[in-house]
Amino acid sequence: MTPSSSSSRADRMPPPPFDPELAAALEVIREHVPPSIRLETLDTMRQLRRQLGPSDEDLRRDGAFDVTERRVPGPQGAPDVSLLICRPTGATAPLPAVYYVHGGGMIMGDNRTGIEEPLDWARELGLVLVSVEYRLAPDHPHPAPVEDCYAGLVWTAGNAAELGIDPDRLIVAGTSAGGGLAAALALMVRDRGGPTPAGQVLLCPMLDDRNETPSSHQMEGLGIWDRNSNDTGWTALLGESRGGPDVSPYAAPARAEDLSGLPPTFIDVGSAETFRDEDVAYATRIWQAGGQAELHVWPGGFHGFDMLAPHAALSQDARAARLRWLRRLLEG
Amino acid sequence: MKELAGRLAALDPDAGAAMQVITYFDRLLEGRAGLAALVRGAAVLTGHPVRLADEPHRVFVRVDAEGRRMDGGGLPDPAWPSAPLEPDGPPALWLERPGPAGVVEAMVLERASAAIRTVLVRTRGWAHEAAPDQAMTEVLLDAAAPRGARLRAARRLGLDVAGRARAVALAGGAARVQAVDATRPDAVDAGDERAGIGPAVPVADLPESLAAARTALRFTAEGTDRDPGPRVVHADRLGGLAVLASAVGPDTEPVPDVRALERAVAAAPWMLVTLDAVATGSSLRAAAAAINVHHSTLQDRLAGAEHELGWSVHDPQGRLRLQLALALRRLHRTA
Repeated sequence: MTPSSSSSRADRMPPPPFDPELAAALEVIREHVPPSIRLETLDTMRQLRRQLGPSDEDLRRDGAFDVTERRVPGPQGAPDVSLLICRPTGATAPLPAVYYVHGGGMIMGDNRTGIEEPLDWARELGLVLVSVEYRLAPDHPHPAPVEDCYAGLVWTAGNAAELGIDPDRLIVAGTSAGGGLAAALALMVRDRGGPTPAGQVLLCPMLDDRNETPSSHQMEGLGIWDRNSNDTGWTALLGESRGGPDVSPYAAPARAEDLSGLPPTFIDVGSAETFRDEDVAYATRIWQAGGQAELHVWPGGFHGFDMLAPHAALSQDARAARLRWLRRLLEG
Repeated sequence: MKELAGRLAALDPDAGAAMQVITYFDRLLEGRAGLAALVRGAAVLTGHPVRLADEPHRVFVRVDAEGRRMDGGGLPDPAWPSAPLEPDGPPALWLERPGPAGVVEAMVLERASAAIRTVLVRTRGWAHEAAPDQAMTEVLLDAAAPRGARLRAARRLGLDVAGRARAVALAGGAARVQAVDATRPDAVDAGDERAGIGPAVPVADLPESLAAARTALRFTAEGTDRDPGPRVVHADRLGGLAVLASAVGPDTEPVPDVRALERAVAAAPWMLVTLDAVATGSSLRAAAAAINVHHSTLQDRLAGAEHELGWSVHDPQGRLRLQLALALRRLHRTA
């Protein structure tokens, strides 16, 4: 059977089953995280996310990190961008760094969302973590979010010495919508001659505004961030032009014609989530363009499974795989 | 699972937490999750390290509050809250912090230990009998063993002695015990092994279930063209046929219908599979489909068969004679 770009709900294949441990966790948290997020419920979701964010105290990890929040110049004519910077205390030599872009479907989250795991990497590998606050759709549609991220990246690379960062070992990373933005950053840097990252880490990235892959149809109403949520996020970012012929690859990296000249890439995704097919396709196209990519498809994983159920065996393995890739990239 | 555990801790134990704990372990069981997943669930839901130390099954699983595997850890502290895997058994699942357990913690221990018992029965009690468990199974199924010894063996095997179970007889004299799920008393995990399935009985009465299972086994066949017939037969679906089993064996004189059947089988390689299909099919058309021949071919074959047998298999009486002859033929080959 050939996957069709216009497969309808009627002819969709049954979804892959969730991993049993993830399915159990999903059911328990179900009422807090509906599969479909619409603009009407956005305020509630944003509030819930804010309550879950870590405090400065959490981020310091018993004195392991110096935590600062820094306002740096934003894109031309736009407000400043706020960077959350966590630097291992006592380190003197320039360190590698992760420039992290948070998730939240382009419509939720802040620069503390989901940074526990990048902070684990920073602790384990001795990295500086820089997490960018970007303006959110629908109040700030494309290109505001990605240009904010780009401005923060350019500033970070330009001020590497002051931050104690080795500019040759600056990695961009992002989760979900942040994964899509991180992928866009790698494209922009390539096209504009900006600071080349040493790698890109795209965790279950949101890449394709067309929202018409078999997986996006298969998982409708199931798991986390189904195609209705996805439609909400992309429409907030792109308005009427979503899915049309004129979408920029800096908004939706799956639209890029050319995926050559990108840094070493790590992509992972669950087999039971909307983004499965677009993420697998992105890795495949990087290989086809002569690039280097590592792809993990975790069987029975829903979107962001390792954040909602970090204890699960699959989550532990997924996180270990990311750390191993980073270690290989940085330590050779 | 900080998010999950945090939410549970914030919940009123009387309200949502109970439901969520039950849901979590029920879903794990439905998904056929393994022991480690159950122990991880107990650890993250309580926010403390949890260990499962079950000597009879040689199982040791220990995880920290984040669900990561840990080894060792010394002897369990008797002050820790714990739960046995069976009502009067020794403690096996431990919450590694000084007791007493809170309301939610106690519930987690209770649900987790019940789920672990279910998994042990499923994985050790049925499909992958370890050698010491084999000896326990023999005691449990031995009608000559004292009742107390049988119940002790049942506990060692992780069976609920107040519950029900069935014996399963296998070719070559081997036997297994399968716990009966009270919520699905008719469900049988039969697999595809050639087996006679005994009726569900109280655990103490398992030798009776085994006797019936062995009788059922005599009605089974390889399920091949050379030996067509059912690979799995349930004792409690035999009906009156069970009476025949006690009257017929390798040494009893075959009745004329069985001799006629043997003559017919010797006459053509397709005979036995054809007659079995006719005896068990709902119609001649279904029988033809079952053995993949055209309806007219079947009619031709049956003309030859009826000539050898000496009776018609086209009417219900004739098919009953055929069914009986086929069943008796199997019984003559086993004791």
